[in-house]
Amino acid sequence: MTTYLFEQDLVTQKYRILAARRHDRLVRQIAQELDIPVQEVRRYLIGHLDMIQLENLPARAEMAEAHADPDNPVARALGREKYSTYLRILSGAAMDAIFRDVSARVHAGTPADDAVRQGRAQIREALRP
Amino acid sequence: MKRVVDVNIPLGPIHPCFKEPARLKCEAKGERIIGVEVELGYMKKGIERIMKGRPWQEVMFLAERVCGICSVIHNLVFIEAMEQISGIAVPPRAARLRVIANELDRMQSHLLANFSYCYTIEHETLGMYLLDLREQVMDELERLTGARVTCAYIIPGGVRCDLRKEEAAALLASLERMEGDLRRYTGMFENGPMIALRSRGVGILTPDAAERAHAVGPTARASGIAVDCRMNHPTYRQLGFAPVTRPDRDNFARVMVRFDEVFQSIGLIRKCLTDLPNGVVRGRGVCTAGEVRYSGEAPRGELTYFIRSDEFGRIVEIQIQTPSIMNIEACCHEMIIGSDSIADVTATFISADPCIACTER
Repeated sequence: MTTYLFEQDLVTQKYRILAARRHDRLVRQIAQELDIPVQEVRRYLIGHLDMIQLENLPARAEMAEAHADPDNPVARALGREKYSTYLRILSGAAMDAIFRDVSARVHAGTPADDAVRQGRAQIREALRP
Repeated sequence: MKRVVDVNIPLGPIHPCFKEPARLKCEAKGERIIGVEVELGYMKKGIERIMKGRPWQEVMFLAERVCGICSVIHNLVFIEAMEQISGIAVPPRAARLRVIANELDRMQSHLLANFSYCYTIEHETLGMYLLDLREQVMDELERLTGARVTCAYIIPGGVRCDLRKEEAAALLASLERMEGDLRRYTGMFENGPMIALRSRGVGILTPDAAERAHAVGPTARASGIAVDCRMNHPTYRQLGFAPVTRPDRDNFARVMVRFDEVFQSIGLIRKCLTDLPNGVVRGRGVCTAGEVRYSGEAPRGELTYFIRSDEFGRIVEIQIQTPSIMNIEACCHEMIIGSDSIADVTATFISADPCIACTER
């Protein structure tokens, strides 16, 4: 049976993009920040982003770092803009909901670090298949 | 990414308007485009893998072969990165000759990009005029470097060969002729009512979206963002370089920025030729061990090389971030989304001057 190149599964090619040095460094950083196994981050990215978005991930991450809001340390620590607007691994609405929860916890007196940790756990849940 | 969508219209991998193969899977609702998925992999060279472990003398030739359209800038950025690692100085005359080669390369690349756009919107006459002009620029590049495409003109510590006085005079005369022709062609594009219908207000890229996707080069400058690596380059600073921008953010602006930049390149080459310092064109130096991130302004935008070399000048680690990666992403996930017609997709895609060879490396 004839199989066309453009109908084939792109997982291998996408994995090769993520295995490049700068991409791998970023994937490991995301895995560490969100406390998710590296393989799961890769699987999520391969499943949700197309090839050009994967190629452009490090550049987008750099822009996220450069434009992170210095006046809002909670949003910065949570990666509000980074994970939604820039890397697009989470929808804006989902991230806004998580950020609202984290802000509410901080206002209720929870230490910022703990609130951010809980927020990251929510992001982890949102990324779960 | 498997999804169920209303209507999926695949464009490519082989398409009459695409210079290189790529597949855009456009998700449409009626005629309106609501999503695009890009599939690459039809011309992957694996050139970074080939470069690893090889001496710089071999890698400089491989670097040019990343892209056939903007080969000079790959040569320039790789060599300047090695010079920065090794602390090699460039004689002033060679620095100016590098600018001339780089700007000639930019001119031919921009003219080819604008030809592609005119061809895509079915203005073949203007496209052919531009292609004819590009041939003249290629001839000038050959006059300077001895080759049209993979020139290998720039070497550590200088350039391969000098430009004789009579050749400089011929180049100046040729620039004069080309500038006159280009003024006429730019006027045809700028004042063409049918061109405006296909180009103005189509493929809008907002400055915010451009910034998010790290769009670079004429694509970003047509959205009013003044980014250009030449502003940080010492030789361009001496020449008083300032980037060209336009606020319109559409296909028309992107093509016009490229036309404006061709005029700017002509001006820069003229400045270099009239004020060309005397002296040698090859300095001294040995490539050594080090690690660097170095960027230069390619015709399509910021080109970055991440290089680690050993004490013998062998390339231990290399990664290339080409401008087309950022621009294609911005184009497919920002500019094309919301297009009123599937016919605008190819025009918008081509207006971003996508280079698949650069993207896939």
